[in-house]
Amino acid sequence: MTMSDERNVDEMSFEEAIKELEGLVKVLEKGELDLETSLKVYGRATVLKERCKKILDDSERKVQSIIDGGEIADFQ
Amino acid sequence: MALILERLTMNFGDGGERPNIITVTKLNTIAKDLLATSKDLNEVWVSGEVSNLTKHSSGHYYFTLKDDISEVRCTLFKFARSKLSIELNENMKVLVFGSMSVYVAKGNYQFNVLDVKAQGLGDLYLAYEALKKKLEGEGLFDTARKRPLPRFPKRIGVVTSPTGAAIRDILNVTARRFPADVLIAPALVQGEGAAESIVQGIASLNQARVDVIIVGRGGGSLEDLWAFNEEMVARAIYASKVPVVSAVGHEVDFTISDLVADLRAPTPSAAAELVLPDRVEERRNLVHLLARAQKGLSATLGRMRQRLMRTDRTLSPKTFLVDIQQHEVRLDELSGLLDIFVKKKVDLDAHRLDALRASLVGLDPMRVLDRGYCVIQSVGGGILNSVTKVNQGDEVRIVMRDGALKAQVTRKE
Repeated sequence: MTMSDERNVDEMSFEEAIKELEGLVKVLEKGELDLETSLKVYGRATVLKERCKKILDDSERKVQSIIDGGEIADFQ
Repeated sequence: MALILERLTMNFGDGGERPNIITVTKLNTIAKDLLATSKDLNEVWVSGEVSNLTKHSSGHYYFTLKDDISEVRCTLFKFARSKLSIELNENMKVLVFGSMSVYVAKGNYQFNVLDVKAQGLGDLYLAYEALKKKLEGEGLFDTARKRPLPRFPKRIGVVTSPTGAAIRDILNVTARRFPADVLIAPALVQGEGAAESIVQGIASLNQARVDVIIVGRGGGSLEDLWAFNEEMVARAIYASKVPVVSAVGHEVDFTISDLVADLRAPTPSAAAELVLPDRVEERRNLVHLLARAQKGLSATLGRMRQRLMRTDRTLSPKTFLVDIQQHEVRLDELSGLLDIFVKKKVDLDAHRLDALRASLVGLDPMRVLDRGYCVIQSVGGGILNSVTKVNQGDEVRIVMRDGALKAQVTRKE
């Protein structure tokens, strides 16, 4: 397995997490792993899914504007 | 009146020169030929405004071209009209190219139009067409060059007016969709300096390393939207390292920016939707993905179970038991067989016994008695089969077929 087991899911972007999740789903669907690894992969898939969900639920966003001199300030 | 008649009579009089009498047709034809020879009336550009435009079902257009003082009937025949890049409209200020001619049948003259260029707006159209041709030739519109947008941008850049409807629309839509930061590069979107400010905005957002850029404004007239048809804007979009979505609020025509951009959105709202995925859909997708993972896992589990049952059979106590049971069954079978053998042997013996018994029956002394023989026993029960064992006066027992007698030996003979 070359999946980034070591990567901390909490630091992953949505794209990184969902890409890995999609990869794991394909692996599980192929069903070529032994039972123990399959369970491990499934466990990681659920963690990745939670990470993605958390990002989706997080409605915090910054709306900013470039002002004179290239500075960035909150947009009113 | 009388005078005219007199003159006519005079002119037709004998010896007078014969007057040059021509037909109406000839008259108009001469006029037509005359006009055709005038350099000033042929293949000239005339400026004026279109009015009384009639689009005939034959495909020919008829209209009056006028200025403040004068007007002239114009014809635009189908063959010429089909080559035009613009469509004529009432009150349009135009430059028409063509020649003056006489319509012989009606005796009126008209301008036969071969080409039309719009003035004012028309100049913009011409500039648009020219720039489009030029940039197209340079490959700025090549579809192969179009870059895919990031699937989940973390920060989107917007080049537009900070006070326009476009930015409000974009902020509204993005708030509902996949969460991403928005960085606005405020720009003039029409009038003097608009193109420069849009170019600057694209550059600034590239520097700020946003994931995708929306360049646009709300709808407006062709003149309002003109900045988006400027070459410098087109080249800035082309040079952007970050994918650009054009969002100029008009659905009919394409601006040059639309053509160069990686993706064209019909409105700023639509651009926001194209740039950011739908949050609800993504949530649904997550659920779907996990369901697929579950399905895959349970299929694997099912397979594993089957394989385990196959490969671990020799080791598991359960299957061991089954083996034992099988042996027991075999044993039962064997012992059953044994029973059968034993039984058969017993039966056989019994049979032989019967036979023996039958043959023994023949030897039964009692049966001899039936035939009239007797058995003589001593008082002690011993069989007396010799006279030597008996003395005179001894008491003996005579066993007969149906009973026994006691007797006394009276004499030995």
